[in-house]
Amino acid sequence: MSVDPTALWWARARAGGPLRVPAGTVAPDVLLRLGEPDASGVWLVAVPPEQGGSGALTELGLAGPLVEQPNDTARLLAAVLRCCWRDPTGPVWPGVPAPWSAVTSVFRHYADRDEGAFRRAAVAAVRRLHGAGWVSWDERARLVRVGPRVASWSAADLTVLREMYRQMPAAVGEAAVGEASVSGAAGNGVPDPAEVGA
Amino acid sequence: MSGIHPAFDRVLGELPDRHRDEVLAAFAAVEHAAHPVPESTLLALRDATLRAALQRLLAGLGRTLVQPAPQEWTSGYRDDVAAELLRCDGQRLPVVDRAVLVLVLVHSVAIPRSQGALDRDSWASVHATPLEELQRYSQLPRTEVRAALARLRAAGLVQLVPERGRGSGQGGAYLPGPQLQRLTPAARRRLQEELVLAAAPDTPLAAAVRARRPKHTDTPHTDTPHTEGTSAS
Repeated sequence: MSVDPTALWWARARAGGPLRVPAGTVAPDVLLRLGEPDASGVWLVAVPPEQGGSGALTELGLAGPLVEQPNDTARLLAAVLRCCWRDPTGPVWPGVPAPWSAVTSVFRHYADRDEGAFRRAAVAAVRRLHGAGWVSWDERARLVRVGPRVASWSAADLTVLREMYRQMPAAVGEAAVGEASVSGAAGNGVPDPAEVGA
Repeated sequence: MSGIHPAFDRVLGELPDRHRDEVLAAFAAVEHAAHPVPESTLLALRDATLRAALQRLLAGLGRTLVQPAPQEWTSGYRDDVAAELLRCDGQRLPVVDRAVLVLVLVHSVAIPRSQGALDRDSWASVHATPLEELQRYSQLPRTEVRAALARLRAAGLVQLVPERGRGSGQGGAYLPGPQLQRLTPAARRRLQEELVLAAAPDTPLAAAVRARRPKHTDTPHTDTPHTEGTSAS
């Protein structure tokens, strides 16, 4: 096939979001490579220069893609960051895994409502974020991590996020964050996916 | 200027700083904005020389400029790249999603166009498809239709419109989404032909479509567009 590999890899990363490939995969240097902490694979992320990224849309007065329930989605992403960004003076990626119960305990500060609606909102938001690569959600193990797309945040973005991190409450049971295991993660407040309409 | 990004340096390196900024702004606009961008708003869309640089930049990344309406621009996948993506990665949309999308396209575009109510070669429409109509004709469980619509909305392939003046509301109505504006002319034509083959396979028009195609490409799949990577920010 005559398609230039750079064009094809970039298009693949745009069509499907961050690509997870085996560690030895040869790919053009135009994509950001992010190693998994356990060296089990590599993520390839298409990150344009800051001026050519979606952050420039605000300056241009243009609307970006529509996100459903944008407030809940942003709050849940913030809660994931608060739990998974172990050292906010360093990079966000790869972060540490956090139990779902820890994430929802932070989310509850910003989205307190009746229990059923709270669970539905949290699960719908984490599904949206997982689908877009901002968050990695292991539904069975009840573990959450930051997704590879967070590596696309610029230094200026990270400055704002560090400020936000400092102002946010810590997770309930913070000691468990970062040492979460499959058994330890199955805590209280975990929504039953079967209850949640897509 | 150097070192901003290996994929961008090749094209932008030859431009003065001011023009580089204009091309990058236009790149952000056509690549990330939800809707096509009027060319009057950006120099790199108005000016033919800068637009050619933008086109070279996009082409190096598997993309191309698309003009869905006069003086409006967006971007889409190059036709050869879209074909290769389909070959390498297969169809990204589940079959249920494709079925629901086709129903929206039939109700909102194909039927109005056949009645002369839509005259442009476009997949934009103001003729909404009510949810109750999708549920009645899809022959799928209601929960599956709703789940498919949620995924299609997230991908920008359909959009929800409020039902005005229709009383209690039956779950809203749907229009083709903004991502369909990103189809190249060749992709729009293929989609049109696939709809003809699906909706009226025994008509002379369908026979003409089949006759125009090489034998090995006459397959019954619905060539829906590749979705963009969804982004939550």
